[in-house]
Amino acid sequence: MKHLFIFFILTYSSFLWAEEEASYGWNIPNSSINIGGYLDTTYDTKREEKFLFNDIALIFSANKNRFNLLGEVELSHISLNGKSNNRSDVDLNLERLQLNYTLNDKQSIQIGRFNSDIGYWSQAPIPILQDTTTTPHIVGNFFPKATTGVLFRQNINEENSFSVTFQDNKDIAHQDESIQVNRHQALAYYGVHNDFSWRFSLGSYRESTNKKARYIGIGSEYDGEEFSIQTELFKQHSDKNDEKPYSGYIQSTWHFKEKQDATFRFESYEDNALDIKEEIYLLGYSYRPTTKTALKGEYIHHTKLPLNRFVYSFSVLF
Amino acid sequence: MLKILLLLIFIMLELCSIELVVIGDKNFSENNLTIQQIRAIFLDKKHFIKEEKILAMNHKVNHPLRQCFEKKILKKTKRSLERYWRKAYYLGKRPPKIISSTNMLFLYLDSVHPAIGYSDLNATFNKELTILYQATCDNDS
Repeated sequence: MKHLFIFFILTYSSFLWAEEEASYGWNIPNSSINIGGYLDTTYDTKREEKFLFNDIALIFSANKNRFNLLGEVELSHISLNGKSNNRSDVDLNLERLQLNYTLNDKQSIQIGRFNSDIGYWSQAPIPILQDTTTTPHIVGNFFPKATTGVLFRQNINEENSFSVTFQDNKDIAHQDESIQVNRHQALAYYGVHNDFSWRFSLGSYRESTNKKARYIGIGSEYDGEEFSIQTELFKQHSDKNDEKPYSGYIQSTWHFKEKQDATFRFESYEDNALDIKEEIYLLGYSYRPTTKTALKGEYIHHTKLPLNRFVYSFSVLF
Repeated sequence: MLKILLLLIFIMLELCSIELVVIGDKNFSENNLTIQQIRAIFLDKKHFIKEEKILAMNHKVNHPLRQCFEKKILKKTKRSLERYWRKAYYLGKRPPKIISSTNMLFLYLDSVHPAIGYSDLNATFNKELTILYQATCDNDS
């Protein structure tokens, strides 16, 4: 059964390779409903289950007048023995379910469960959209990856905007590797000028375990024709002994051939909860045979933790 | 002889360049849009003109007008646009409607309000349209 499943996934993915035109998903005829998804598989030399289908996700969206609905449902961490998150039954998780209402050209309001509007990685947290398979230490450690609440966005002009996030209820998703909260308040600013952009965010949250924390972060990105550079720095203050004094990274991707990139990332962080202060170096390569597929390989070197390893991935957006 | 040669070169350069115009329907509420506003409309960041939802139209991927538009108006390479739309799709954004010909563009502009697209200047003569922005591309665009 499991082999049939893998055969189906890989066969379907290979059909997607053939299509060059970058139109994603399937539009239900005579409607505004679009259905698509993505698939990520990884091979991690340090993980107990070396090969995993990290995510098999369905994305659906619809819009009507000023309303936009967006949803994402996923099966995660499926091993070759067919278990999802080490459970033998099918474990479906709701990643996003958000309804956006455009008040006018400058303002919009969003309710539901959505990716927190904090930093660069939360905007597009899936491997097919990133230059590397692994994520910096900031992701999942400094602020909630997702929020179940309300977000108000104000566009100052075409290139500058800020958002206010508020949550004071339980998370509607039942599992997540990231920080799960029942309260989250955040303020974020985003600006862009040609190939250069910058972000600033601050917020506070309360976890389901009653742990409270405040965070602040800045970041900027240059996304040019030949190369891109992204850098972020976050600080978290907690009311317990697990404060995170800082975590920052600089990542550069060199687009050395039309479909091939090389990435270097340097990270440094201090985490009192883990009682560690270390640096992480990453050297990666990615090949995108089509706009919808990516093959990546990277080596990660930790100066303290015994997590030096190779990670490979294959991902598809459809 | 030199004058004739220079004249011929000038004519050839003129023939090779594209006079691109960003056009709206005849009742388009704004007579002038900034390049930032046009960019925002075609990147699915701006959806309304005077509280009315706007229809944006794009030519096919390899159309010379689209290549000119992406270089001069969007100021993005094919690669960065691919990266942009991959992320935008994940965020629920959708690219502009693809039209198969300039005639189809004019048909939409006649029947949908507000609507926006782009064309070669020469094709817009005797058409009831609102010209919003103008740019010139060399033949290498």
